[in-house]
Amino acid sequence: MESKEKSTSKRKLVAFLREWGLIFAIVIITVVATVIRPAFLSGKNMLNILRAYSTIGIASMGMAYAVIGGGMDLSIGSTISLTAVVTMLIINNATVATVTPASAALLVLLVGILLGALIGAINGTILALVNGKLAESFIITYAMQIVIGAVAQAVVRGNFQAAQYRSGLFKEFGMGFTPVVFMIVVAIIMQFILVKTQFGRSLYFLGSSMQVAKMAGLKVKQVRFFAHLICGACAGLAGVIVVSRVGSASVLQGQNYELDALVCVAIGGTSLDGGSGSIARTVLGVMVVGFMMTALNILGVQSNAQLIVRGAVIVAAVALDVLNKSMKLREVAQ
Amino acid sequence: MRSKRAVVKKFVNDQPVLLLFLFFILLMVVIKPSFVSIRNVKNILIDVSIYGVSALAMTIAIITGAFDLSLSANFAWAQIFFCFLLNAWGDSPGAILAALLVMLLSTMLVGVLNGLIVVFLRVHAFIATMATGIILKGFSLVFTKGNMIRTTNPFIREMGKGTFLGLSYLTYIFIAFVVLAYFVMTYTRYGRGLYATGGNMKAAELSGINVKFTRFSIFVILGFAAGISGAMFVCLMRAGSVLYGTDLALTCVAATVVGGTPLTGGRGSVLRTVVGILLIYVLYKGLAFLGLQGYYNTMIRGIVLLTVVSIDAFMTRGDRW
Repeated sequence: MESKEKSTSKRKLVAFLREWGLIFAIVIITVVATVIRPAFLSGKNMLNILRAYSTIGIASMGMAYAVIGGGMDLSIGSTISLTAVVTMLIINNATVATVTPASAALLVLLVGILLGALIGAINGTILALVNGKLAESFIITYAMQIVIGAVAQAVVRGNFQAAQYRSGLFKEFGMGFTPVVFMIVVAIIMQFILVKTQFGRSLYFLGSSMQVAKMAGLKVKQVRFFAHLICGACAGLAGVIVVSRVGSASVLQGQNYELDALVCVAIGGTSLDGGSGSIARTVLGVMVVGFMMTALNILGVQSNAQLIVRGAVIVAAVALDVLNKSMKLREVAQ
Repeated sequence: MRSKRAVVKKFVNDQPVLLLFLFFILLMVVIKPSFVSIRNVKNILIDVSIYGVSALAMTIAIITGAFDLSLSANFAWAQIFFCFLLNAWGDSPGAILAALLVMLLSTMLVGVLNGLIVVFLRVHAFIATMATGIILKGFSLVFTKGNMIRTTNPFIREMGKGTFLGLSYLTYIFIAFVVLAYFVMTYTRYGRGLYATGGNMKAAELSGINVKFTRFSIFVILGFAAGISGAMFVCLMRAGSVLYGTDLALTCVAATVVGGTPLTGGRGSVLRTVVGILLIYVLYKGLAFLGLQGYYNTMIRGIVLLTVVSIDAFMTRGDRW
């Protein structure tokens, strides 16, 4: 009896951590970082963090769709690189040619999203055809990452692309609150689709059990296809905004994006087994990661050492999820 | 006459990869005869040997239903740490042996870590090994400060350059491991346990196989193989860097799948992987030989991997419902 009580309290602690841990993490990181460097809490720094992590946020939301559906997309890093260099080529040529800058900006936005969606559609088609789950999506999107990375290199022949524009609508995409607004708009749309539409509910269903979803008469292949298509489109949008923000593009632009997105999704409490998770919590996860990485920068931790932190965070988040699930199972068994 | 035809038909059905391999060789001989020069064949076999040792381990892992994406990072760490130890401990035979052993212990320790996370924490092998790979890569970068470590050890140099009967010493090491892996997988209780575990974990457990130990041991074997591959690579390059061998894990998967071992586990053979990796390298090197360098070569590698994995997954798609 006593041990049962003990296990319930332990179970409650894990559940509590998963429910409120993110908020605590943000508070703790903010307090520690502010004590060390008071400028951390300034409005300017907060905006900087939000702006820097808005593109990762958009990519993470796409990743969350793929993960909730029981898959994974490791190709988004290369997708961002490709859309980045293509965007820069179009913009640089548009400033020279007679096209008005405003229409060029809207054009690249469209091209970027479509290009990302196309790559996502290829992933989605293959995975739908092979009834792919986590394992297949891992290898297939990893191979896609290699292919798209090479395509990006071929497009610019490996060269770095510097910006030739000084101002204009495109420049605005990456300035001030604009990237943050982009992220919030995407978040609202995607959370709405996930919660309020047939597609969103099917996605959860698909992620929990493909077999049951199929038996229940869902169009499993179609849902899988669109999950990856949306994921690619998000990466494409992130690619356009990141170019506007940093003012240059290279084939390494999207490096490690798939990693950061995965970290944000996992920290946001989305189970990497699929079937659960939300966009709102993913945004919270992005905030935690953004605050944490910035705090690490302030503490003088180098980017190489930050890789170690990222890896450890993935293991910890997933292990916590597994622990939570096994405790739930045990509780049901009792 | 008829039986002869049946034999040929059986051979074509059983060994399509071997035939494709021979076809590629013939094609290259026709297009560019210098491709089969002794020098070039020797060099291709060296590359095959280095990645081959890891590919054998990856095949065994896939047969058992496990997977290791941290293999690339472990391979890079092996080179770095081996060079570091060689430089630190000098050129005497005892020091070289000690360096090899300590390096292998460190790579196997990574395997132990992977095994603990996957088997006992029950985290999915893909995610766990990807994360440990990232951690190890970060650690290697911190350890080397991003630099390349060189070694001038004369014995290591001789191992990389020396030949016996026209083939590099490294190729003989690979052949020894092929024989060992084949023997273990075919004739030992442990090897059959691996097949059983990959085929149906529950059934294997009920029939008295220690599934947890079997799955755990696979990750240690993968770590060991990454260490051996790393040591062989150091013999060839006389240097270690985080940037070397980032494609190792995926090339090993490609070699396994091309050879005909399905990713679903429980079936396959290490000998098929030998043919698979030979085929892949003839293709890669052949394309490079024809002038397709740099990112185009990378693109072809990615497309080859994508194609073979997709075809394999398509063939086994029914198993996943």
